[in-house]
Amino acid sequence: MSTPILELRKATKKYAGVPAIEDVDFTLMKGEVHALVGENGAGKSTLTKVMAGVVNLTSGQMLVDGREAMPRTPNEARDLGVAMVFQENSLVPTMTVAQNLFLGQEKFFNRLRGIYIAAQQFLQSLNFDVAPTATVSLLGAAKKQMVEIARAVLHNAKVIIFDEPTASLTPEEKKYFFDLVRDLKKRGVSVIFISHALEEALLIADRITVLRDGKHVVTDDASKFDRARIVQAMVGRDLSQTLYGQRKTTIRPAGKRVLSVQNLRMASMVKNNSLSVFAGQITGVFGLVGAGRTETFKVVSGVIKRDFFHGGEVLLHDKPVRYRVPAPAVRDGIAYITEDRKVEGFFETMSIARNIYIGQLAKLRRKRGLISGKAASAVGALWTKALNIRAISPDVKAVELSGGNQQKMVIAKSLVQEPELLIFDEPTRGVDVGAIAEIHRLINDLADQGKAVVVISSYLPEIMSLSDRILVSRQGKVVEEYSALEATEEKIMYAAIH
Amino acid sequence: MSSARLSQQTIVFGIFIVLFLVFSLLLPGFFSASNIVALLQNVAILGILGLGMAIVVIGRGIDISMIAALAVPPGLVLQMVNDGYPVSVSVAAALALVIVFGLVNGWLIAYAEVPSLFTTLASGLFLAGLGQVAFFKLDLVPWPPQLDAIAGFGRGSIVGIPMPVVMFGLTILVCAFLLRYTRFGTYLYATGDNPLGARTIGIPTRPLILRQYVFAALIAAFAGMVMAASIGTMQTRIYNSTMIYDVILVVVLGGIGLSGGRGGVLNAVTGTLLIGTLLNGMTILDMSYSAQNLIKGVILLIAILIDSVLNPRNEETAQQGDI
Repeated sequence: MSTPILELRKATKKYAGVPAIEDVDFTLMKGEVHALVGENGAGKSTLTKVMAGVVNLTSGQMLVDGREAMPRTPNEARDLGVAMVFQENSLVPTMTVAQNLFLGQEKFFNRLRGIYIAAQQFLQSLNFDVAPTATVSLLGAAKKQMVEIARAVLHNAKVIIFDEPTASLTPEEKKYFFDLVRDLKKRGVSVIFISHALEEALLIADRITVLRDGKHVVTDDASKFDRARIVQAMVGRDLSQTLYGQRKTTIRPAGKRVLSVQNLRMASMVKNNSLSVFAGQITGVFGLVGAGRTETFKVVSGVIKRDFFHGGEVLLHDKPVRYRVPAPAVRDGIAYITEDRKVEGFFETMSIARNIYIGQLAKLRRKRGLISGKAASAVGALWTKALNIRAISPDVKAVELSGGNQQKMVIAKSLVQEPELLIFDEPTRGVDVGAIAEIHRLINDLADQGKAVVVISSYLPEIMSLSDRILVSRQGKVVEEYSALEATEEKIMYAAIH
Repeated sequence: MSSARLSQQTIVFGIFIVLFLVFSLLLPGFFSASNIVALLQNVAILGILGLGMAIVVIGRGIDISMIAALAVPPGLVLQMVNDGYPVSVSVAAALALVIVFGLVNGWLIAYAEVPSLFTTLASGLFLAGLGQVAFFKLDLVPWPPQLDAIAGFGRGSIVGIPMPVVMFGLTILVCAFLLRYTRFGTYLYATGDNPLGARTIGIPTRPLILRQYVFAALIAAFAGMVMAASIGTMQTRIYNSTMIYDVILVVVLGGIGLSGGRGGVLNAVTGTLLIGTLLNGMTILDMSYSAQNLIKGVILLIAILIDSVLNPRNEETAQQGDI
């Protein structure tokens, strides 16, 4: 066996004494595509950040080409030939493609024409269809990724790490991305990619490593894995059947119409969108990124800034409403549970109880000027128990909770407001598998209690297993509607793409 | 996180104690009843301002215009009474000026979404200029005898404690109550912690921000009245001094994170005591004004550095969930 191009031995990284990864061994061969899978919090990001010099090991060794080398900064990692393409773009949006490619390598006299010609030749040699003079902010997600990859190749990267590379890509773009990875492989570049999409890992990887709770579980050739084996290795138990495997055999009948959206228009994201939501059932809204689902429901709940609204009508219980801020929408019984809980979900410096109590304060009809610590702990204890929110102590700050528990707290914060219409936007994003099952059960219970529930999700199995009614959104409007009984994954995907 | 913040406050308090002891031992005349009283009296105005600033900073803003609000409305009261207007009319006019000023600040920041730093930088300049151009005939406006009836809250003492210090204590109580026991306080922390989150859950964040700038302006004007009563004049050019840096120093040094949602009244009080001791000591040492500014500048830089290390609000915090 030849020397691995990159190797980690007994890699351990602790945050405040808590190990994010512990004694992980990892090898990467030349020209290999290596998929890294695991639940959220399994340590995938930390492991790759160590290799890219973003995070430094607490203990352990890293070897590049058989020689010990420990990059302390992303720059040092780049000199070693390790480049990372982040989930969030690390390009400078206001600069052109060429400027981004050569960023940090400019000569003292930075002649624009020179770098445009160099960039043009380089992009052509990679067969990338991107104009070097285009401004990055105007490019689509796939093209931005191309620029990132081109930059990595330009820096003579021997190892390129991708963190969730396909999350924001359309199916065609994904296909293109896979071709790119195969091309990189042919050039002798090794690729590590983190993915939640197991099918992708199985399809494209040579080898797959599974992490769980910061520990290495198994590494094997991709051909020796199937979906069930990966999931089992990820969770350590056979959950894949109970979680998404079952198809609905009965659906809840539609109750009263709670929400009706007619010809809603908003900026370039929502185009004449019309839909209805009924009480006592779950309406699943599926669509690819950019389909305008989140934006539509943010208009409904007043979360979106007023300036983007261009027209159309929103009817709540058959009465026209137009919320400019979320507060009146909350009072009228609408709860929007965000897809991005870190940005607009919870208060990180506060305890669970205080977070939930603020939800209650914001809804109280008779506004009270004074707050009550007793009421806060009571409501906190009640919902912590009801939703099985697990924390070391009740006083622990929200930021210290795991993703699943944070999400449950964010949901509790809205449930305490006793809403009639609940909009869950990607309710299980960044949530561990155990908590996903609990959150799904909770959403089902809410529909059984007669609430009108909307679930927005990009994950087809989630939509299929939860919804009674499925709306498919594409390019700013709902294009298709299915009863859960007649829907198939193929039908839904077909409507979402074409 | 909580232990880190606790320790910053404890550290600052510890530094205050050490500094106080060192000054007491080394500086002749520092540890005398009259000097301690003078120290507290000097620091009282700063402390009141610091509390107002604390409220704004906890709500993730900053109010650079506080010194203008300290100088101009009280100066207006004094000037109008000197010019022969009735006391009630003068006070009402100044009060209206303060509230309108706070509302304009708040409206610009909350509704027009101009960053608070730039808004208050400009509005403070405007208010100070307005005072110079339209209201004041001289830089020093004397305290008119007609106002002696209400001079009590800045002049004299209760059981040996000078009135400005008593007023500082009163402001501490009011602010502590507001922050700890009212809905306003809870919402303020929530909005400072996560403005978008607060908005989404149904907190009316814009009126809240509006109120916090009105409150800061009122506190500043109150501090101005206390100051004018205790000195007997209003130095209207105080706007041009470095006082606003001292106020920010009090807040940051005390451990109220500039990123919002953190800290409380105790932090502001600790910061005030430390700055008060430092200023007093430097004055006794007969340091030049410039040297004092240099030292304060260094301390402010260090405090901001420590603040951004202890209370990071960036990718690091955001990504703690997905290691």
